[in-house]
Amino acid sequence: MEKTTIHSERLGIEVFRIKHDSGLTMLLCPMKGFSTAYAAFTTKLGSVDTRFKTQDDADFVDVPEGVAHFLEHKMFENEEGDAFARYAKTGASANAFTSFDRTSYLFACTDRFSESLEILLDFVRRPYFTKESVQKEQGIIGQEIRMYDDSGDWRVMFNLLGALYHNHPVRIDIAGTVESIAQIDHELLYRCHRTFYNLNNMVLCVAGNFTVEQVLEVAGRVLKPDAKPVEIERGKVSEPDSICQPLVEQKLSVATPLFHFGFKGVSTGEAGNLKNQILDEMLCDLIAGEASPLYRRLYDAGIINATFGTEVMTGRDYMCAIFSGESREPEKVAEQIKEEVAALKRDGIDRERFELIRRATYGRYIGLYSRTEPVAGLMCAAHFAGIDDIFSLLDVIANATLEQMEERLRIAFDPEKSALSIVRPQDGETGGTEG
Amino acid sequence: MSNSFHREQLCDGVHFSSVTDPKFKHNRITANLVVPLSRETVTDNAVVPFLLRKGCRSCPDFTRLNQKLYELYGASLACDVTKYGGYQSLDLSIYGIDDRFTLGGEEMVRPCAQLLTDILLDPAFVDGVFPEKDVELERQQIIDVLESQINDKRFYAMSRCQSIMCEGEKIAIEKYGYIEDANKITPASAAEAYRRILRSAQIELIFVGCGNPDTAKEIFRQAFSSAERAPVPMEPVQTRTKAEKVNEVTEQLDVAQSKLVMGFRTGEIGSDLKKLAAMRVMVALYGGTPNSRLFVYVREKQSLCYYCSARLNRLTGLMFVDSGVEKANKQKAYDEIMNQFRVMQRGEFTDDEIIATKLLLQTSLNAVGDSLGAIDDWYMTQIMTGKVCSPEEESAMIEAVTREEIIAAANQITLDTVYFLTGKEAE
Repeated sequence: MEKTTIHSERLGIEVFRIKHDSGLTMLLCPMKGFSTAYAAFTTKLGSVDTRFKTQDDADFVDVPEGVAHFLEHKMFENEEGDAFARYAKTGASANAFTSFDRTSYLFACTDRFSESLEILLDFVRRPYFTKESVQKEQGIIGQEIRMYDDSGDWRVMFNLLGALYHNHPVRIDIAGTVESIAQIDHELLYRCHRTFYNLNNMVLCVAGNFTVEQVLEVAGRVLKPDAKPVEIERGKVSEPDSICQPLVEQKLSVATPLFHFGFKGVSTGEAGNLKNQILDEMLCDLIAGEASPLYRRLYDAGIINATFGTEVMTGRDYMCAIFSGESREPEKVAEQIKEEVAALKRDGIDRERFELIRRATYGRYIGLYSRTEPVAGLMCAAHFAGIDDIFSLLDVIANATLEQMEERLRIAFDPEKSALSIVRPQDGETGGTEG
Repeated sequence: MSNSFHREQLCDGVHFSSVTDPKFKHNRITANLVVPLSRETVTDNAVVPFLLRKGCRSCPDFTRLNQKLYELYGASLACDVTKYGGYQSLDLSIYGIDDRFTLGGEEMVRPCAQLLTDILLDPAFVDGVFPEKDVELERQQIIDVLESQINDKRFYAMSRCQSIMCEGEKIAIEKYGYIEDANKITPASAAEAYRRILRSAQIELIFVGCGNPDTAKEIFRQAFSSAERAPVPMEPVQTRTKAEKVNEVTEQLDVAQSKLVMGFRTGEIGSDLKKLAAMRVMVALYGGTPNSRLFVYVREKQSLCYYCSARLNRLTGLMFVDSGVEKANKQKAYDEIMNQFRVMQRGEFTDDEIIATKLLLQTSLNAVGDSLGAIDDWYMTQIMTGKVCSPEEESAMIEAVTREEIIAAANQITLDTVYFLTGKEAE
């Protein structure tokens, strides 16, 4: 077992990084005074992993869209019943999620931490799938997909990703489609589990009210080392730099049109993307944040409202900056964002505004290091990106320079690589105030 | 060492409360202005916090105000409207890192409290009313919010069910008001609403965090010393505690997945905290947790719904079951929801289920103390119910609830309204 300590003087927190004998990596952050402990057991299998091979496979295997999410649903059930019933005896509140690039099983508790951790480390490692149980799940997930098909907020985002990306699987719904999940069977699920749920490919992140000794005691008792590490090679997607289409529209039952306007960025690898994400977030804030002149103009013109926001979405080989909200005139909003980007490129970034944004971003990131769930999330994101020191993200902000920002502005905000997604109300469903 | 809840009166109808704990890195200060819900004033009132959030005399412009917040290390100034039973609360809060975490050792509590006070008491009026441009925009924003509630079908169905169930009562009034009234908001009507609220509201100031609450308290004390006040005393919510007959309503909208919402009345609870604890366990066991009857039997075992859960509003004593179902499964889902309800009334649940439910409720109660927002919400709700108890005290009461008390709680619940929102054409 190897154990290293990462310490932040500024925040007064410590993270212990342990490579356990079972092969599992653990990132542990005990937080004094907290009642809650938050634990996440995570593998790097997400909706974008549709093509992969291991060292023992001759060829790549293509899997149906939505398999990671399907597997997550199925893990909660085995011969003895479901994992929620086991957590019921400890009082932990348990859940799981599948994102573009990871599957995470988690719980939060205030008592009986060791018992809950034992359940977590046990059930995620014990797959049990039958033909019947897979069929039943196809019905449940089919319902979930239908629900998302109705959701304007969900559709407007995936329509944007579909417009930005030609081939990259990030353009596909995380749950897949009714047709794709129909192709999933129990053998495929076992195969994915063997590959991605090998302990060497997983990470356990815990933050809050617990001790390192508790984790080691439970892990030592429960985790059986895997026979050998599984090395995963992921199928490379050939994705052009260009976007797929500049405008995509859909009609759904919404009151005000929803929009997502995005710039397709350039991926520089996982660690680079995570750090660039912070700089690009600062740029989004500079371009259209609440203290920006553009925000003011759009707001005063009545074409954005309080739902307007920005985000930077990154993963292992994709990144994009997104401006979103409700608007009666989404095309105009997108046009003005492009104009503002052009003006910033032409005139340069004002130093005073840059300093304000750096200060605000610093404050916001301090917030992330103050609560158990974001701390666990940061540890996991940093680990998968190959960054050992989770506190180094604060340094990215503290050391950011104006020149760096201007460079990112040129690279990540190219109007030629932007697209607009709009979800409009169905005919006859607009409110009477349109105009 | 953390300091438990402390509340004191600053002046007539203005109270200051605080909870502090050094484990935090932030402070959150909230001003809740509480007024009775009324169909006539609700919409004008609802726009007020959003107009105040636009600026104050010391920062008279939205962009300058936001720049001020950026200077304060990205402190956030939030506003919203909350509904507590028959009351509307207009909330303004500021949340920022504590003095200890600034890069240059700058003070944070003082400027944050001062800014919140300015926003609350010293708006940037032009000729005695809110600026016309701001009112125009915020009026439209309120209309947008009201219209976009239709986006969230689950929320929409819940809200429709409650409105139908409590028609004509204060608690049926929507917290953001009504589109037809929002169209009539003027700078003068909003300013009048503001002045009326400031005079008549019960004002609850709450400080939660790791900093020094006294700094904030003294700023508020001084600021309110010159305010003219005639606060309206608060009264408990009145609504029927028992349903006479079941009212069934079906409405159509363009949805792929139908929504079934059922409204129940939970009988006499009043301010009996012991009875409330039993009712909370009953509702959680029935449909409030992932091990609950509704989740396990209706959703998982029979796959009748994508979601199906029950929730209790402790201020109104109403319980709602809401579910997303395929149109064809409506009757089956309804039957099973009622079947599980009768299981509760007959006490046909296991001791393990009771233990599991209590543990989950206690976990969420114990976790309240880890989040500034949760502490703030918890104590504000406590203040509104009229009896303040800590999450730990409620946890102890939950622990003491017996099987007999859960069955008794189930038997004082009656079904009032069944609301079904479904698609326009056959699915």
